[in-house]
Amino acid sequence: MAATGSAEGVSGSSALWAEVRALLPRAEEGLPLALSGEVEDCVLPLLRRARALLYGAAGRPGAAAAAALERLSDILRDYSWEKLNAGPWREVGKGWRQVYAYGCLFGALAEVAAGRSLARAVRLCDLGLLMGAAVLDNALARLVRALQPHLPRAAPRDRARAQRVRLQPPPPALRPQEVIPHLHCPSLEHFRDNYLVPQRPVVLEGIMDHWPCMKKWSVDYFCQVAGCRTVPVELGARYTDEEWSQQLMTVSDFISQYIMAENNVGYLAQHQLFDQIPELKEDISIPDYCCLGEGEEDDITINAWFGPGGTISPLHQDPQQNFLAQVFGRKYIRLYSPQDSENLYPHESQILHNTSQVDVEDPDLVKFPNFTKAEFQSCILMPGQILFIPVKYWHYVRSLELSFSVSFWWS
Amino acid sequence: MAAPAGAWLVFGFSPEEAAGEPGPGPGPWRLEAGPEGISRVWPAWSYVVVETGAGLELRSAGQRRRLPGWAEALPSETHLVLRGPAGARAWRREAALSGALRDEPAWSRDLPAEPRQPLPLLPGGFATPRPPFFTALPARVRAQRLVLGTEHAVALSTAGEVFTWGGGRHGQLGHGLLESGLQPRLVEALAGVPMRAVAAGGWHSASVSEAGDLYVWGWNESGQLALPSKALAQERAQAEDSSTGNTKLTPCQEQLAAEGTAFISIQAFPALLDLPQDLEVSVVSCGSRHTAVVTRGGELYTWGWGKYGQLGHGNNVSSDQARRVEHLVAEGLRVEDVVCGPWTTYVRVQEP
Repeated sequence: MAATGSAEGVSGSSALWAEVRALLPRAEEGLPLALSGEVEDCVLPLLRRARALLYGAAGRPGAAAAAALERLSDILRDYSWEKLNAGPWREVGKGWRQVYAYGCLFGALAEVAAGRSLARAVRLCDLGLLMGAAVLDNALARLVRALQPHLPRAAPRDRARAQRVRLQPPPPALRPQEVIPHLHCPSLEHFRDNYLVPQRPVVLEGIMDHWPCMKKWSVDYFCQVAGCRTVPVELGARYTDEEWSQQLMTVSDFISQYIMAENNVGYLAQHQLFDQIPELKEDISIPDYCCLGEGEEDDITINAWFGPGGTISPLHQDPQQNFLAQVFGRKYIRLYSPQDSENLYPHESQILHNTSQVDVEDPDLVKFPNFTKAEFQSCILMPGQILFIPVKYWHYVRSLELSFSVSFWWS
Repeated sequence: MAAPAGAWLVFGFSPEEAAGEPGPGPGPWRLEAGPEGISRVWPAWSYVVVETGAGLELRSAGQRRRLPGWAEALPSETHLVLRGPAGARAWRREAALSGALRDEPAWSRDLPAEPRQPLPLLPGGFATPRPPFFTALPARVRAQRLVLGTEHAVALSTAGEVFTWGGGRHGQLGHGLLESGLQPRLVEALAGVPMRAVAAGGWHSASVSEAGDLYVWGWNESGQLALPSKALAQERAQAEDSSTGNTKLTPCQEQLAAEGTAFISIQAFPALLDLPQDLEVSVVSCGSRHTAVVTRGGELYTWGWGKYGQLGHGNNVSSDQARRVEHLVAEGLRVEDVVCGPWTTYVRVQEP
């Protein structure tokens, strides 16, 4: 990142402000601050005051106005943050998420107006994209797209460090009877009749052959395209551990701290990266077989799973069908049928009810004796392969090396 | 229930800033009062209700409104609950701010004239400054004091036991779980130690024992439990990197990871908090994400989120360690009471 004061990455130019300002409605009346849900009246004067500061100046807000705008944005973000954390996420009002998004938008604009480092502005945009709800015709996405080219390119990776990779323990040997069948480009009908309808797992090959990601994606590529972007990272061996936590950091930091250095385990997991960075979405495709489902294509949830060797997703089940596409690296995956659920000892608690208590590769058979009764299938998922995981099928995943997967949840 | 009157100082976020106007700064600023002083304060986020010699008064940005005939307040950003001799009423915040208390209240409940317990406690239950306004409380709790957090409630029984209920995802119930509970449940870990005070913040709780020991539990994301907070350590590492001119973020952060410090994000069971020099606590109060205590020796210690100056140290730095507010010591002010608003700390002081 450029040091403060240097020309690179700092928006000294009024040209950048003009470009950014053009993303907003021309006149103040064009920014009605409409919210899709109820919020407390106390934030309305703050939103209006921020808007006034933005539209008050003839050109770029001066230092005092930018400072006042920054302060208002802080207050809007901090107040709405408390609302975002005031109950289960699904119950958080959309209005409050929009207030948070406005707080991020006004804060990012204040950073640009004040001529400070754009990295902070991009971070604020990302916070709004991650936790807010779209405002002003997705202004945050448009703003970050405008700012990104003005950021300094990420420094090239230290090649020497790439060699220091911790070897992962080998997976259990795959016995013939448990290997998941592999098929090359089956027809829609064949897949539907033999795997989707009877709900049987299968590994599909040849589907990803022409996806641009197979040629384009590498750690360096992500550094260049998304290095400055803030993403949620899971820290800790597995999400059932006490020390497990989530943290926000830039893709560059994630790569240097958890991919290159491999201190402790960090996993960019279950993140809708392709909504946050639409450019990457063009490198992948939605498998045709998803059209066999009842849902709309827009309802398909696409998640990125990017991490070093040794990331573990404990045995768990999901409420939708899943296509798990492997882009680079290999993963050991074990599957259990939902019919065997009783032998898998799911957690009692509400939050973890979809997760087994058993550590698949090191089961405590004294505590969980019936685990041996459960039949399973397994595979080592290789680059270019897509695993079909039927709905509610229990799955355990361990990466054997640096790995990037894309999952498609569909119904 | 006459409370001693005195001089009050405030640190933190002002009602002016809540209205989007420039504020007087993080403080301390003195609460204006007549010769009789102010005896009690009930702070909300954008306004505060104070009890002066002339009765209750609502103070918000640039205005003051008398609330004649009322004895106690329970304010929020949606409603204001007032309790008086006839009973309790709730008005929408806007009605209260504009003085429209003759309008139909959003809620009312007739009560006996003599209150036995302070708000939010009411006979048979407790009040909340938002719908449903009244919630029944089982008699078994025998509550003498009750405090409300963002998602939970903490009650102190006449026997010195602590009961908690409500949202528990951040360990604020103190039962060792991350689960919520609708019914008041005894905090077993404190069962052997009689408590004489309880406090609730946004997502954390605190209690003080008869002997003056402080117990804390819940969310520690800003160091509000005075336990090591990862986010604060990273902020400090980044600040150090920029002050030494080191613009690469990695070295200090890698060091953090290597140190293996036991950061605590959630403390699901009560933990005893040792203050410096084993000082005894007389009063505790919690804001959204910070905590303040008054010691028996009349000093104020604060910790947790400090972005708006609410810790009283004259800056906007958060802290995961209990620190004495030096300004009060320097001025020779003995602290007698502390009440936290969401982003503020109000202290009653005895002037030298």
